Amino acid sequence: MTVLLGDPVLEELRQILGTDHVLTGKADRLNRARVPAPFPVHRWAERMPDLVVLPASTEEVAEVLRLANSLRIPVVPRDGGTGLTDGAVPLRGGIVVDVKRINQIKEIDLDNRTCTAGTGINALKLNEVLARHGLIYPDDPASYPCSLVGGRIGTSGWSLIGSRYGHTRDLVLSFDHVLPTGRVIHVGDGIGRKITKSSSGYQLKHLFMGHQGTLGIATEATLKLFPKPEAEFSPFWAFEDYDTAYRAVGALARAGVATFAGAVLFDEWKVDYLRRDDEAYIPQPSSVKALVCAALYGYEDEVRAGGRRLLRIARSLGARYLGDEISEGDWAARHDRYATPLHGRTRSGQVVPMSWHCEDASINYTNLPAVRLAWHEIADRLRRESDVFDDWGMFAYTNGATGADYLTEIDIGIWEQRLDDAAWAAWVRAKRDLAAVALAHGGSISACHGSCREGEVDLVPAELGGGYDVMLDIKRAIDPNNIMNPGKYLLDQAYAEKS
Amino acid sequence: MPDPEKRFAEEWRNAAYNCFSSGHKFCREVCPVMQVTRNESWSPTAFHANVVAMEKGELEVADVAADYVNCTGCGACELRCPNSLFTGDFYRFRTRTVDLVKAVRGLAVSQGVHQPGWQRWNLLTDERRHEPVLNGTPIEQERVRDWADGLDLPIGGETILFVDCEAAFYRTSVPRAVARILNLAGYKFGLMNEQWCCGGPAAEMGYEEQARRFAQHNLDDWRAAGVRRVLVLDPHDYITFTEDYPKYFGDAYDIEIVLVVELLAELIREGRLTPHVPVERTVTYHDPCRLSKRKGVWREPREILRAIPGVTFHDVDRVTQWSYCSGGGGGLPVEKPELTAKISEHRVGKAAELGVDTLVSACPWSERPLSEAGKARSIDVVDLHELLAESLGVAP
Repeated sequence: MTVLLGDPVLEELRQILGTDHVLTGKADRLNRARVPAPFPVHRWAERMPDLVVLPASTEEVAEVLRLANSLRIPVVPRDGGTGLTDGAVPLRGGIVVDVKRINQIKEIDLDNRTCTAGTGINALKLNEVLARHGLIYPDDPASYPCSLVGGRIGTSGWSLIGSRYGHTRDLVLSFDHVLPTGRVIHVGDGIGRKITKSSSGYQLKHLFMGHQGTLGIATEATLKLFPKPEAEFSPFWAFEDYDTAYRAVGALARAGVATFAGAVLFDEWKVDYLRRDDEAYIPQPSSVKALVCAALYGYEDEVRAGGRRLLRIARSLGARYLGDEISEGDWAARHDRYATPLHGRTRSGQVVPMSWHCEDASINYTNLPAVRLAWHEIADRLRRESDVFDDWGMFAYTNGATGADYLTEIDIGIWEQRLDDAAWAAWVRAKRDLAAVALAHGGSISACHGSCREGEVDLVPAELGGGYDVMLDIKRAIDPNNIMNPGKYLLDQAYAEKS
Repeated sequence: MPDPEKRFAEEWRNAAYNCFSSGHKFCREVCPVMQVTRNESWSPTAFHANVVAMEKGELEVADVAADYVNCTGCGACELRCPNSLFTGDFYRFRTRTVDLVKAVRGLAVSQGVHQPGWQRWNLLTDERRHEPVLNGTPIEQERVRDWADGLDLPIGGETILFVDCEAAFYRTSVPRAVARILNLAGYKFGLMNEQWCCGGPAAEMGYEEQARRFAQHNLDDWRAAGVRRVLVLDPHDYITFTEDYPKYFGDAYDIEIVLVVELLAELIREGRLTPHVPVERTVTYHDPCRLSKRKGVWREPREILRAIPGVTFHDVDRVTQWSYCSGGGGGLPVEKPELTAKISEHRVGKAAELGVDTLVSACPWSERPLSEAGKARSIDVVDLHELLAESLGVAP
């Protein structure tokens, strides 16, 4: 789709939004083509939108979409722009609808324990306000200080403490959603804004979450609130081999402790990487090959009791507790600070500037060891292909309270200044291979990021099977002119079939 | 792309990639401008990303100069940057976004790209030797010490008190309070022979040649009078004298810079000052950005406040205050007074939530916009030095 944005369109957008909120400068556009996921810098301009709009209300978003739909102009919604699957990146130019200005808190309902806010709001800022009422909105991604509620809806985000409080899909009760045609609907469980369970009609809430902006734009959401936890306990344990650590994390997750909010398994590659290059890591003796940590939140009395139980379980399985100080410090570094180093190493050991990038999948507990080995083989191949890449090891995080499956993550250091076309091709190949391994082990391509990037997206039809055909039908029905985030999730096929 | 721009991009490229490649944007929600505009083009991340785009030939400084107006130089982004937080403890590394913004502004001016308000402001400053802080009323050099009328302060001496343009010509009650307190404590100091603007604001707006000329004048004046020590009450001056001047003059710069708020806390600690007149106010304290976020000075102002009898003090910790700002810094009120006003309203709103009647600051440049915003909420904005003077029973 080629778009020519002549003056009449600009003029109309300015009428809708006010002149200050229609941006056409090159820097404005370049900065809306950028997300944390790696992409060759020399190709940056390929992803520029033609213009950017900053609406302040649902009505303004609806008017923009009505106009775009009538003129067949691509629209890409952008909120925090912190996603790792390029949902907010325009592939065909067009209009970026940046919803950050829609960030007002409309209501805090203390009796029903809900809050309604614009989707441009950040959870940390929201929690600063909720704290005055002793409440918390516990959606806790790694990007907690900067991701925004709308992006969490559009990607159906994953929360680090989701085993205790649920993930975005559980925490967002309902929202106003602008369809590609500009029509505004409200989706939730049933029609209620604050209903947490309904069996009336189709369950549309899930459909309009995690679509990566291909089905419209959420503008105002009603969220579920919890009492702000009084206590946190975040024990770290050391192990002399991966297998013991793996058995321990499984036992901790299956223990059924109510305050259990999540556990993380660090594999040998991760510990090795932390030891060589992570400045915040508190050095452990070389006998330590794997780590496990857990996090518990709640009232002090219940966290103490639950914590004692987990300590007992871990000890019985050969874990060595690292003590309160290291546990608190390391959890603060990894969780609160979101520690990220600025360098990695080439194969010869040369330190070079690198940034952290992670690829994720959802894997059942029983398949974690096998996936880990297959993924490190892929990372090793990447390293042999180019010194742009470094293997920074793997984490596995519990997805839920019963320990069935884990967000499995491999972290790759990338020397972004040297990411040329050849290295990029190797990276895309590797991503596809990582996804294939996840599927071969009965997993899902992503627990957290989504799967619409180059590479892994090729395998989405295989993952979803007949469900993918339904996706195509839905896309065509809801977005007849393919204006919403065209090019994502291979959904152009929906229109090819039609013709 | 012109050569100076190429050189600039080469110089700043690696620092910019540290931000660009990680792209975590933790800075965004603490940035005072971003909080009130929600425009990602004016975020610290964008300021770094633009450098990468310049290096790749996608942008020139003329394309982005106006975007770089939107920064108060508060430094919150640097503290909140995961790269600072992570490696800062171990290597004292700090992401340098404020310096980058200054450098881009300087590059713009050197390439003939001016912001009209800043150009006018610096022209007037150059003509009158002081910033035009009196809303159109011309500043006169011979009135730079008028604030001290009747105080019988000597000129010169080993220790002098340097008073910034805003306090010397507009908020004159602040330097008067400082002078009277120091006199009460028996602390000897004089005034400068021919004080000019410190040059810091010119440097912040990109007029570096002018900034250096002003700095040279002040240093020459100090040297001629045998000054060894300069007392500063304004956090902006404190940055200029401890960061810009050493950069301009290198090892030859041997003047001791003393921050008045630290000196006063010390005098109270030593028993040379004892606040005793009760001040019946319910207050919160505004951490001036250049003291807390840029210089790590946050204990002493609280120490002083807690020493004043009668005051009910609702403190907000300094980390929470990383995201607060008056909007009065970095030349923002000159180019975009409407943004300064919004940022001040936001800050005063936070104070109002605490149910206080007074917001205490320790930065003259913050006090004009905060006072404006305070009117709407019936919150007094009072300078810490003045509050202390009141409790010491010294006349205004």
